Amino acid sequence: MGEWVRVAALEDCPPGSLRSVMVGSVPVVLCNVDGALYAVEDRCSHEELPLSDGELEGPILVCQYHGARFDVTSGAPRGLPAVRPIRTFAVEIRDDGIYIQGT
Amino acid sequence: MPQNETIQSLGLDEYKYHFVDDTKYLFRTEPGLSEEVVRQISAQKGEPEWMLQFRLKALEIYRSKPMPKWGGDLSGLEAVLDQIYYYVRPQEKMGHSWDEVPENIKRTFERLGIPEAEQKILAGVGAQYESEMVYHSLKKEWEEQGVIFESIEDGLRKYPDLFRKYFGTVVPPHDNKFAALNSAVWSGGSFVYIPKGVELKTPLQAYFRVNMERMGQFERTLIIADEGSRAHYIEGCTAPVYSTESFHSGVIEIIVHRNAHFRYTTIQNWSTNMYNLVTQRALVHENAHMEWLDGNLGSKLTMKYPSCYLVGEGAHGEILSIAYAGDGQHQDTGGKIIHAAPRTTSSIVSKSISKGTGRASYRGLLKVHKGATQARANVECDALLINETSRTDTYPYIEIEERDANVGHEATVSKVGDEQLFYLMSRGLSEDEAMALIVRGFIEPIAKELPLEYAVELNRLIELEMEGSVG
Amino acid sequence: MTNEFGFTTLPQAPEGVTSTLNRGMVETLSAFEPAWLRERRFRAWEVYESLPLPTTRLEEWRYTDLRKKLDLGALAWPAKTQCADDWEACPEALRRAMEEDDPSAGRIWGVDGQIVHVDLEPRLQEKGVVFTSLREAVQRFPRLLEEHLATQALPPERGKFEALNAALWTDGVFLYVPRGVDLELPVRVTRWVAQAGVAFFSRTLIIAEAGSRISFMDEILSHDLEAQTLVSRAVEILAREGSQVHYVGLQRLGKGAFFQASQRTLAQRDATLDTLNIGLGATTTRVDLNASLLGPGASSEMLGLYFGEGDQHFDHNTSQDHLAPHTTSDLLYKGALDGRSRAVFRGIIRVHPGAQKTDAYQKNRNLLLSPEARADSLPNLEIQADDVKCSHGASVGNLDAEARFYLMSRGLDREQAERLVVLGFLGEVLARMPLGSLGQKVTRVIEEKLKKV
Repeated sequence: MGEWVRVAALEDCPPGSLRSVMVGSVPVVLCNVDGALYAVEDRCSHEELPLSDGELEGPILVCQYHGARFDVTSGAPRGLPAVRPIRTFAVEIRDDGIYIQGT
Repeated sequence: MPQNETIQSLGLDEYKYHFVDDTKYLFRTEPGLSEEVVRQISAQKGEPEWMLQFRLKALEIYRSKPMPKWGGDLSGLEAVLDQIYYYVRPQEKMGHSWDEVPENIKRTFERLGIPEAEQKILAGVGAQYESEMVYHSLKKEWEEQGVIFESIEDGLRKYPDLFRKYFGTVVPPHDNKFAALNSAVWSGGSFVYIPKGVELKTPLQAYFRVNMERMGQFERTLIIADEGSRAHYIEGCTAPVYSTESFHSGVIEIIVHRNAHFRYTTIQNWSTNMYNLVTQRALVHENAHMEWLDGNLGSKLTMKYPSCYLVGEGAHGEILSIAYAGDGQHQDTGGKIIHAAPRTTSSIVSKSISKGTGRASYRGLLKVHKGATQARANVECDALLINETSRTDTYPYIEIEERDANVGHEATVSKVGDEQLFYLMSRGLSEDEAMALIVRGFIEPIAKELPLEYAVELNRLIELEMEGSVG
Repeated sequence: MTNEFGFTTLPQAPEGVTSTLNRGMVETLSAFEPAWLRERRFRAWEVYESLPLPTTRLEEWRYTDLRKKLDLGALAWPAKTQCADDWEACPEALRRAMEEDDPSAGRIWGVDGQIVHVDLEPRLQEKGVVFTSLREAVQRFPRLLEEHLATQALPPERGKFEALNAALWTDGVFLYVPRGVDLELPVRVTRWVAQAGVAFFSRTLIIAEAGSRISFMDEILSHDLEAQTLVSRAVEILAREGSQVHYVGLQRLGKGAFFQASQRTLAQRDATLDTLNIGLGATTTRVDLNASLLGPGASSEMLGLYFGEGDQHFDHNTSQDHLAPHTTSDLLYKGALDGRSRAVFRGIIRVHPGAQKTDAYQKNRNLLLSPEARADSLPNLEIQADDVKCSHGASVGNLDAEARFYLMSRGLDREQAERLVVLGFLGEVLARMPLGSLGQKVTRVIEEKLKKV
């Protein structure tokens, strides 16, 4: 298991928003689904473009480039043209901000 | 809400939009595209709020995406898109029998042989004229088995849950610029549901007709083939020739559930002033079969790559593509197969003919994702060149992430051999006849997959096209 | 410059200009060179500055992301080599590579971007054959070089890397074979790279006059390099009427190398101009090869072979331009990929208007040896003449079925059988050109790699 890394303050990622952060050398997108935080790799499994340019519809992250959909709670693909899942990361809210566990 | 009230509530003068011309139109939007146009289309259809929001969002996506730089020459398209009518409503109400269709429109479809074919070989027919379906009918025996074959608007109205569950999931508006445009201004097309285990013995057909000058047609079709079902859907299209350019951009979404077989056939014969940019895609589940039979004969420029996403184990996808590019035409066609599950199989066969200054391009993607073990895929492309000025291109993309895959691609280019021609002429055929015979032989593997009536039609077209091709 | 708000905007910094790769370096390199060459370097540098670094948005760079694969900013300039022109002074690996070779008509070896040794059979010298370092050729044959160096075949306008090489080359090889002369034996160039973290730029210019015959073997090798090292090479080959040229490039660089090769072959009437590119080493290999068939009866066989392991990345980008009638080109690139290695092949046959009676073929075949390996293949055709015979093919497959067949029929163990299958698969390429001991050398290196696997 990897190290926990502080990536943002809680107020940096309000409900319904996305935030692009780095965990080591891996770009990760932090998603706030109605107050619950999730983190997935910031790279669409379709054409490897950044997902942080997209938007959240509930727990579904929609890629800005070709409309691929992912469930951020599991990383599972939920709409074409994506057919493969994206990596997910553990997230914790601590006193001093949001932490993500690297791999 | 009745349609006339909708028009009034928009403050539009009914008479102003009644054209006293060869054809009468009940309503049409101003030329060009705007948010207002999108709202008018939605209001004309009395749509639920979510669909209006979907359209408006799609308009935003359309505007944010650049014009594609690959494929055909789209440099003249922006001007066309500024001038065309995005929505033209030809009549008040859709008919379920031909008697309900206005005489002049009915005559057009009679000339195209649609009612006759319906009698003889079809399970159901939908006919679109400009922006709306003017006729939609399904034979009683199939209706009784629970088959749904409706205009897309009726599908949304009558089956809102089923519709919303699948609409836009196979081709999201973000997918490409023209899928976004279609999502904003779609009108017409079919909604099809084949229930579990039902096997349609004869095909369903939709026929698309553009009649007016500077017209944009944006049909949208959603097809759900439930588990173990089997059906064949045929799409045909024509338009008169005008000196200005017209535009057609359809989106076809197909979901083929477990063990189902679905075939979608297109015989595209748009007039040569038509830009035809279409997105057709199928999601294919476990042990299901999807076949695209794609015949592109008309249009000025077609960019169309039917695709199969093989997401269930044992799924099979097939694309049979035939393109004919005559003088001034560019057919940029092909197909995409995405292997995303184990033991999936696929085949693409493409045949193209370029004549005069015509250009036929094959563009295809074959992708085997990691985990799609034991995938088998094969692509064969044959191009036939008739004249010195003809052009053909082959642009296949092959992306393999799985060791356990077997993938092959072969393409050949040839010209009609002088020896073949001389031989046939020595048997008493004229040069044109000989050429037509050779071309027919070349496309035979695809023509034989069509119902007989359509194969005859295709052969007749080829004969007409080959007149005066030699010398 | 001012923008629409009236603010002065600074021109954007040109991409790829670093503390090592800059105008000052062009100044230093050209300080004592003739005016034409100085001008040529500076013009190339201007083109370099004006072009953006290729990104994956470009079709030809779709699968090789330079932002991830190449850090131009980290590259230093190599120190002058201390290696003397003396067989005994040769680095041992270089010497061993040369000891494996068959006899040669002439031999050049170089270390760290500089030519150290040159020899050529006296009988060929008497016939007017020139085989020497590019630096010396600039002094002795200025008119030939001014006419042909980075002009017809690889002018800087062809691309970012072509421009960079034309501006910053330090040395290279010049071969000139007069009308009707047959070299009989191959000429060999063997280069060794010892320094890491630096950028090397070399060029080769080959001129085959009418009716001459040439076989050119060009090998480069190194140990594993602890820092990324750019090895850039430009090869220009002009084959005049009825001449016959075989060019073989063998790349055996170690890990850490980014090998970038631009090659262009121009074949005139009835010339035969064949190439074979063998890629066995380097972390990243990018080869751009264009064969232009310029005169009726010209033909080019284009062969390629690669073996990948670890995280090696091969990207071959080829084009076959048929610009005259009755021309032939036949391309076959085959690769086996192990570990997490990846190969990209993008090839295009262009039959230009009027190039009737063209025969053009193109085939790419890949064998994936590991579950993590990946192959992308894009064989393209653009045909604008109707009386042609053209075909292309691509395939990706695995070992299992074929290996089983061998196991059953020959009584070998699985490993031996697999080795045989891979060598047989790749051997098809080697068998298509007379290679002598070089074929055995390649086979031996691949066998060693398979043993490690």
